[in-house]
Amino acid sequence: MSRLDRRQFFSRSAALIGTTGLGVGAVAGAAAEAQSRAGAPAQSATEQARAALASELATRVPFDAPHQAGVLTRAQAQGSFVALDAVAPNRSTLVAALRNLSTRARSLTQGDTVGAEELDDPPPDSGILGPFNAPDQLTVTIAFGASLFDARYGLQALKPKGLERMPNFPHDNLEPARTHGDVLVSVCAGQRDTVTHTVRELMRSVVGHLTPRWRIDGFQGARRGPTPANNPRNLFAFRDGTANPDVGDASLMDELIWVQPGTGEPAWAVGGTYQVVRTIRMHVEFWDRVGMFEQQSMIGRYRVSGAPLGGTNEFEDPRYDLDPEGKRIPLIAHIRLANPRTPQTANQRILRRGYNYDRGIDEAGNLDQGLVFVAFNQDIQRQFATIQTRLEAEEMVDYITPVGGGYFFAPPGAHGPGDWVGSGLFT
Amino acid sequence: MLAACVLAGAALAPGGAGKGGPFAVTQLAPKSAPNPLAGRLTKVYGTNIPASRYGTEVADLEDEGTNLAGEQISELSPLPAAAFTAPVDEYRAYSERWIAHALSGAVALQHALAAGERTAAMSAWEATWSDYLHLGAVYLNGAAEAANRAIDGTPGELPGGTSDPHFTGLHRIEMGLWGGQTLSSLIGFAVLLQHDLSALRGIVAHVEITPLEYATRSHEIIEDDQRDLLSGMDVPWSRQGVLGTAAGLAATEEVFHTLEPLLSGRENTEGEVRVELLMLHGVLASMRARHHGQYPNLSGLSIYEHEQLNGYVAGALSALEEMPGTLETKVRPPVPRLPEPSRVERAEERAAEKVAGGAP
Repeated sequence: MSRLDRRQFFSRSAALIGTTGLGVGAVAGAAAEAQSRAGAPAQSATEQARAALASELATRVPFDAPHQAGVLTRAQAQGSFVALDAVAPNRSTLVAALRNLSTRARSLTQGDTVGAEELDDPPPDSGILGPFNAPDQLTVTIAFGASLFDARYGLQALKPKGLERMPNFPHDNLEPARTHGDVLVSVCAGQRDTVTHTVRELMRSVVGHLTPRWRIDGFQGARRGPTPANNPRNLFAFRDGTANPDVGDASLMDELIWVQPGTGEPAWAVGGTYQVVRTIRMHVEFWDRVGMFEQQSMIGRYRVSGAPLGGTNEFEDPRYDLDPEGKRIPLIAHIRLANPRTPQTANQRILRRGYNYDRGIDEAGNLDQGLVFVAFNQDIQRQFATIQTRLEAEEMVDYITPVGGGYFFAPPGAHGPGDWVGSGLFT
Repeated sequence: MLAACVLAGAALAPGGAGKGGPFAVTQLAPKSAPNPLAGRLTKVYGTNIPASRYGTEVADLEDEGTNLAGEQISELSPLPAAAFTAPVDEYRAYSERWIAHALSGAVALQHALAAGERTAAMSAWEATWSDYLHLGAVYLNGAAEAANRAIDGTPGELPGGTSDPHFTGLHRIEMGLWGGQTLSSLIGFAVLLQHDLSALRGIVAHVEITPLEYATRSHEIIEDDQRDLLSGMDVPWSRQGVLGTAAGLAATEEVFHTLEPLLSGRENTEGEVRVELLMLHGVLASMRARHHGQYPNLSGLSIYEHEQLNGYVAGALSALEEMPGTLETKVRPPVPRLPEPSRVERAEERAAEKVAGGAP
């Protein structure tokens, strides 16, 4: 980016600060807009790339809303999931920490200018993004684990009724140091440095009261087509997210994602959602030794196109009704067990929002790669746990090992600058 | 070797073996006349594939492992399932011998625990566990799976982890021995282990192993060792991943030995596997010799030893992965095609695409 470009970007971004409550994308595209004015000369590929990046960096997702951001928001390219344990000595200190967390998250997600520095004081912001923290589609989603509702802070009676400690499913090998937690913070944005900066700043805002328990970083595969609609791939090379429910369908989201009033849940939880995170190690070397036919049979889709076996289009209905014996798609294929597409299982669907991870090698010299499985649902037992139990029969269990994660509850969003995520729990 | 190459080259060179030799090329075929149909062909005969796309379509299908009829492509004719009866019987007998060894080891383990001798108990545990791992190719379903979980199960699979009441068997004893627990507290687990091994012994004698399972286990044993043992995951207390891998290699060698008659003459799998197994065997043997006749635990490996072991295990796996395909017993039927979507279904697909491709 040239000096001129950078100045233009900063001035545009600065103008956007304080413009709150706009929908996703409403502030996006300032650079592209300028470039596309009538009469503007055609852009080179480099200029287009610069404009696209500037547009992405300027994109802001509202923090204050009835439901938290980062749930229905289309998955950004980069993510980090940080589980924290509360070490606050009492309830009021915990409240202060949670308030700080939301306040800082609000500021960072909307874009802020790094404040003036007193030379004798540590800078208030690490400054790794420069003098302006561009919003970059950043979302910070805050959720609570079952352990927060133990006796320490007197919250036992307010625990969401479906929130429990994530059990060990039969093929799990959960490591205690990578599992559970009092608070989960999901940080997602377009650029890795935005996520890195945000995690650092958020942890700084709660230091001494919420302390890190585990963390996992992830990334989305790029959308490499052939059309913009085709989903990116996981690290087994299969497309992920194909059969997700339509997040634009508000009534469907009320049926599947958001906790509703009159369901026996505490009042503060209405409008929230249950978040399941599973760190799933994928044994990629094993997978790479499996024949293509077997890979596709295990998944139930063609690897290249993502179409269900026998079909041609990723979004084609697998038509299990025409294949009751599993001659086309085996009865224990992943897609068939995960979503049988029957009227009886329609209310079991979940919203997946996973990220690939890649974090080095293990002691045996194998790549430590996998999936940060993230799913939102209204009722863990009715939805995620039911699906997971069905998936115990799939052959893919030999190629994956869930090693961490947890069950959490993401409360409804904050109402405005004076409010904070989870405030309803303490009123 | 050089002489052989020279002879082969001479035989294959046009006219190189002398006029009229058995492999000599005596005359080149005349250049073909132009195809009179060229330019008028629109479809490949017997298919609906446009001639212009023939190569692409066929290549795509071959990538998916099928021919134009949708049938599974294989260069090898399937083996009859009955051909596996003798190898499986031989391996079953081998397993029965090793589970008997493991049972004896478990008795010795109990005695060492009762005598309060931790070092002797550790040695007995290592011998028992290693003997048990020689059963690697016994495909564990049903009752055998439950028995194996009791004998060799790890706490990560249990709801209560290491505190779970169902956490028993070899790894429970491992935790106690290397974790400093009193030896007397482990005696009950050693007794239970003998009971579970005895139960499995009765099952192993009649366990059914299908040809596909048996061929697949030929590479899965060392795969499991690499994932669970060399990573330290399943042996966090003793860290005896090398010992376990050596036992897994022994089981794999036995499987390979029983299957050699079937592999003979089918691609080059037999030769490649033999070489890689020998190399891994050699690395483990020299490692043991360097460490005074004992396999070192994972922490006792030098960086080079660890890298060498990881590398040779990976090499063995790259050869072993060919075994199931080489020993295929059936041709897979073609995948049925989905019917052409109706107009309504096509509209639904487009709607789904629109959702998937929507703005953030």
